[in-house]
Amino acid sequence: MTYITDIFLIAISAALINNFVLYYFVGICPFIGVSRNVDIAFGMGFAVTFVMTIAGSISWAITTLVLVPGAPFTRFIAGFFLDPGQAVQIDLTTLSYIVYIFAIASSVQFVEMYIRKFFPSLYKSFGVFLPLITTNCAILFACLTIMSHVAGVENPADVWGLSKALALSFFGGVGFTIAIVIMAGIREELDFCDVPECLQGAAITLIVAGILAMAFMGFTGVDSGLRVALTGG
Amino acid sequence: MVMVTVGLAAGTMILMAVLFTFILGWANRAFHVEIDPRIGKVIAALPGVNCGGCGFVGCGEYAEAIVLENTPVNKCTVGGMSCALALGDIMGVRVDVSVSLRPIVHCGARTVDRLGRSEYRGEMMCRTANLVADVQGCTYGCLGFGDCERECDYDAIHVIDGLATVDYGACVGCGACARVCPRNIITITPFRSNRILAVICSNHDAGKDVTKVCKVGCLGCRACSRISNLFVVENNLSTLNYAEYTEDRMTELVAASKRCPRHRLQFVGEGTGIVPVTMDDDRPDVVRADFKSTVDDTEWRG
Repeated sequence: MTYITDIFLIAISAALINNFVLYYFVGICPFIGVSRNVDIAFGMGFAVTFVMTIAGSISWAITTLVLVPGAPFTRFIAGFFLDPGQAVQIDLTTLSYIVYIFAIASSVQFVEMYIRKFFPSLYKSFGVFLPLITTNCAILFACLTIMSHVAGVENPADVWGLSKALALSFFGGVGFTIAIVIMAGIREELDFCDVPECLQGAAITLIVAGILAMAFMGFTGVDSGLRVALTGG
Repeated sequence: MVMVTVGLAAGTMILMAVLFTFILGWANRAFHVEIDPRIGKVIAALPGVNCGGCGFVGCGEYAEAIVLENTPVNKCTVGGMSCALALGDIMGVRVDVSVSLRPIVHCGARTVDRLGRSEYRGEMMCRTANLVADVQGCTYGCLGFGDCERECDYDAIHVIDGLATVDYGACVGCGACARVCPRNIITITPFRSNRILAVICSNHDAGKDVTKVCKVGCLGCRACSRISNLFVVENNLSTLNYAEYTEDRMTELVAASKRCPRHRLQFVGEGTGIVPVTMDDDRPDVVRADFKSTVDDTEWRG
């Protein structure tokens, strides 16, 4: 029960409470850049969700198998050179950034080729967005969040499994979609507003993003309340 | 310990590089999609401004439509005839005469010619002003807030004295202005010559009502249609039948334009509208202040 509650809370938290865009302010470039039109924003959000889920699970696997101290792969190789006590101490988490970017870029490339071959209509609707989100910081942020729950956790019971990593990355993408679609809706209306000349363009967009972020602050504390309600204390 | 860590880090990176390279290399062959090589050539031959004048989203879409769906090659308004010929070479088709499409603003009333205007304090956009009654008496004509000017990517249409005026030297005929105009007074018309005759009014009201709201609007008096059958007067507005419009009908067209009591039949095209300043103009490169003319040599008397 607590496991399912945990996953539920991770999902709610990633999508609404700690929304990647409006709470952590990552992924701002597509949030500002492709939020002119609701349809395009929805496509972008869908593509980000897709890539984030794949990249999140790949980076969870790499972190668990290779990077953390005592990871099976690292321990096995180091076992040839060092005694077992030292081999479990080898920590490769310094590689995290470069390895994640590497994994994200390669998986996006792979996914692009795959859907181009087997789902041409999906490829057409993704269009330019799929290669564009290769270097989206929201996706790297999801990978790093997953890493912080796998590496350096004191209590072994708190280490995240694949399902939690998947929940965070998928619902992080859903949260991104929610934020960018709301933003696109506001910006479509903004076209008909008499914006002062000094605030036109990016300035008013950032102000709107700030107000939107303040609105999302209303979700703060919902997670602890939900936890009490679900677990009964 | 340190050496092993460094070695493992390097080993991990190299292993990942080899692994991903292998997977991607395999995927590239396994998921290979055959693309017609002509698409690349067609994209290279198109201007690449993605204006949408051809009716497709961008040049890439149009190129695919040409190669895969046998769309005519002469739809590019920006590239014109030379582009159509180049595309015809690639596709191996003969190019028919490509008529250039240019916008005509079917309103000729400047601010001074418009009657029944009221004060308007809303948003200075045609789209919103069009929703409000009595911004000006004429409910058909140009509002002059310049939605078309803002929409134009080529700086080819400007509001001058409250009337949208096309700069035919800069216009490429993409049709953005015609799409944005809320009153639909801009039409994209085939220009078979550099200048063509056009009816510069859109008012469908009876002549008596037109005189109340406009000093220059078409009255629907049928003076033009009596001279030439190219003019069709319907709903009190004369329209020109461009399907039959040819150079050899020019005498009757000119005669009709001279008979129009409101001078609504005018030639539009190159040299009309906004006339661009050319390099040949006799103007000094740098304009310097002439201090002699600013000296006040008025003699005070009295």
